[in-house]
Amino acid sequence: MAAPSSSKRHSILPPAQAGPKPPVQFSSSITIADSAILIGTHPITISTESVIHPRAQLNSLGGRITIGRRCIVHERSTVGAVGTEGGRGAGGTAEQSGVTLGDYVTVEVGASIETGDTVVGEGTNIGVGSKIGGGAVVGKHCTLTPYTVVAAGDVIPDYTVIYSNGLRRQDRRGVAELRNKGQARQIEVLKRMIPSSPAKFQ
Amino acid sequence: MWTRGVRINHPSIAASVLEENAAAVMAPPFTPYTFIQCPCSDSSTFNRRSPPSTPTTHHHHSDNDDNDDDDDDEHPFDPRAPRSNYSLYPLEYLLYCEDCHQIRCPRCVAEEIVTYYCPSCLFEVPSSNLKSEGNRCTRSCFQCPVCIGPLSVTSLESHPDPNTLPVPDNPSAAPHGGPYILICSHCAWSSTEVGIQFDKPNSIHAQLAKLRNGGNPRMTAKERKERRKDLAQSLGSSYSSSSASGYTGYFADELDLDLDLETQFSNLKLFYQSQLANANTGGVGSGSSASGSGAGGAFGDLGFTSPTSLSRILNIYTSASSQDKKAKSRIGTMREALDSDEGLKIANLDESEAIAKLHAEGHPGTVSTSQLLNQTPQLHLGEPHLHGRSRFASELRPIPYLLRTKRSKRCPICRHIISKPEAKVLTTRFRIRLVAGSYIPSITIRPLSLPNASTPDPSALRPSKPAQFVLTFKNPIFEPVKITLATPALTPGRFPSKVTVLCPQFDIDANTDVWDEVLKDGDKRRKKGESMDSASGAGGVGGGQHQHQPAAGKIWERGRNWVSIVVEVVPASLRKPSQDEMPVLKEDEDLLEIPMFVRIEWETDAMGDEVGAVSGKDRDLPKLKRELAYWCVLGLGRVSDQG
Repeated sequence: MAAPSSSKRHSILPPAQAGPKPPVQFSSSITIADSAILIGTHPITISTESVIHPRAQLNSLGGRITIGRRCIVHERSTVGAVGTEGGRGAGGTAEQSGVTLGDYVTVEVGASIETGDTVVGEGTNIGVGSKIGGGAVVGKHCTLTPYTVVAAGDVIPDYTVIYSNGLRRQDRRGVAELRNKGQARQIEVLKRMIPSSPAKFQ
Repeated sequence: MWTRGVRINHPSIAASVLEENAAAVMAPPFTPYTFIQCPCSDSSTFNRRSPPSTPTTHHHHSDNDDNDDDDDDEHPFDPRAPRSNYSLYPLEYLLYCEDCHQIRCPRCVAEEIVTYYCPSCLFEVPSSNLKSEGNRCTRSCFQCPVCIGPLSVTSLESHPDPNTLPVPDNPSAAPHGGPYILICSHCAWSSTEVGIQFDKPNSIHAQLAKLRNGGNPRMTAKERKERRKDLAQSLGSSYSSSSASGYTGYFADELDLDLDLETQFSNLKLFYQSQLANANTGGVGSGSSASGSGAGGAFGDLGFTSPTSLSRILNIYTSASSQDKKAKSRIGTMREALDSDEGLKIANLDESEAIAKLHAEGHPGTVSTSQLLNQTPQLHLGEPHLHGRSRFASELRPIPYLLRTKRSKRCPICRHIISKPEAKVLTTRFRIRLVAGSYIPSITIRPLSLPNASTPDPSALRPSKPAQFVLTFKNPIFEPVKITLATPALTPGRFPSKVTVLCPQFDIDANTDVWDEVLKDGDKRRKKGESMDSASGAGGVGGGQHQHQPAAGKIWERGRNWVSIVVEVVPASLRKPSQDEMPVLKEDEDLLEIPMFVRIEWETDAMGDEVGAVSGKDRDLPKLKRELAYWCVLGLGRVSDQG
């Protein structure tokens, strides 16, 4: 009975697009996978050369989502998750900002950024499985190691590294510029590997 | 007391510890466990009984022939005794000596180190190197001092970017040239934070040993010696030429020099050595040399005929009067170091810098205890002086990886090796590994839930309500074994629970090949299996298992090489009958643990090497009777306090 009946594996997930289709504003140079999930009622803006991986979810139910230039949003990550506690939650006004990602932000696999005027500064790397509470402000060029939890409304200064269960230190390497360069090169590669279909969401 | 000792290692114990901490708000489900007592824990047993306890050949066993067993009967094993913490192990932790036929635990085996190796680069370190170079990796393997993550060597220069430009001004011959640093990819620590860069990407350890924090070179012993020689020469010339004022001026400059701990120590050592030498010669020789030693021990080896020493003696009488007084009053005693060349370092009591830094960085900027402990003491030698040394995270140095070992284990009695890993670092195989799990039966516990029983949660033990557990014994050896169990009728402790083993004596079939079994007497088995299947199937349908009731003297279930029996316990009430209130429970007093004495008997062929390989074929070969007996502890669950 364990023998595979079919060579093709089917996802047990329900087909994407469970919610309303949000108004989008895409730059012409972005890469967004066909199976990315964009739901919500507020506008979603994605700026130049950003990459949205397959099955990444952008949820604008709680507010507008703005993604800066050369950002990478990885698989199974959620930008604009409706927070469980704290934050402002869903149902904001039209002007309300949900999540703002600066330029060169990387949201790694399975990370979740809750909605409610959450800001992630330029060049910040949000590690695998991390969770950022609603209303938190993460500074520029921060590094959140995997499974970091940032409380709702927390303010994290620039160049902070959060590691081993919430310990913090300052990143004094001064490699922000290098990291941005690396990000640009990674995007070059991703562009070739991920077929982009922005038209599906427009 | 249960949380102490080795038993914390076991997951179920760890879980029970957690349970305590969680304060019964949300107790995790209890996993029943079996711990086995190693015979080494009883020192009297170990010394006196070691020959009889090894199952002798042709041992005509009966219960009365072994007087020593009576000792055990008189003192049933108490799992609550503090000593028990150190003698009980899960089966997986235990080894077995094939020659003594006895269980051996990690505490009683003798260990020998087979290989030292670095866990990071997996290079083997010869034991001769350990003496000279210490127990840390001397290659380029380092741990982050902040988060103990592995550090990687990175070129500080930016990698040539193919996107940007074809590098017109950079010498492209060395694309990864330039200084190198150590970087932690987890917490983003880099060695630039302590001002350390390396010229080469390899042998970082040797390079780091020469660098102090901030990048200043640390003087080696040789350099220090040379420097001292130079100093002496320059001093000598200054004596001959210049006046006394020049001499004192020179030393004023010297005191300002930043004297690191290592140099200071070597200077002091040299100074005291020369002082001692002078004191000795002074005692034997003339009084003048003794007074001479009072002034300048560092130059004591210079002859009195030399002009430098003359000028020095003049200097004693002309320059500082206080020094003069000292010299007179301490004739025959040693003076202390006077300048940095002799190891004098004036304490820097101005700590305002450190205080200001503490204000700026706060608590996160200071080192934690574990970070400080991880720092290797050798590296402190290049550090600033003890006083005035602040404990800031910004001064931590990379930690070279501690070496690890592969060890072989010997039986403490017969010295036979019972576990020996392959010497090569990269292989995980063992040459010899006699684990107890392949010699003694494993015991698994599960609560017996009858379909007609109306216990809501079978794992919860209620006071005075009988509970039944199924013990499954699985035989790992290729001979049928006979097992005899014994438990005290009441568990030890303040709240004795009643224990009844329904079937204390049974046989388990040999651990034969699964396919042999099927091919040989498959029919018999199949029939048996069918009957069992039908019974259990009916039970699954509901209520049909009434005929399969636990009964005294009967085996509950039986398989190819396993047998299940039923144990019935009546947990004690945690309230005393006299008092209504709950007595204050000590730690783990609600834990129901049954001490059980297990005796295994089996027959085995005479060993080939003993009898001879030829007679191995003989059918009438005398079978050897063996037995093994040990205490074990069955942890069944916690008695709930509502009763």
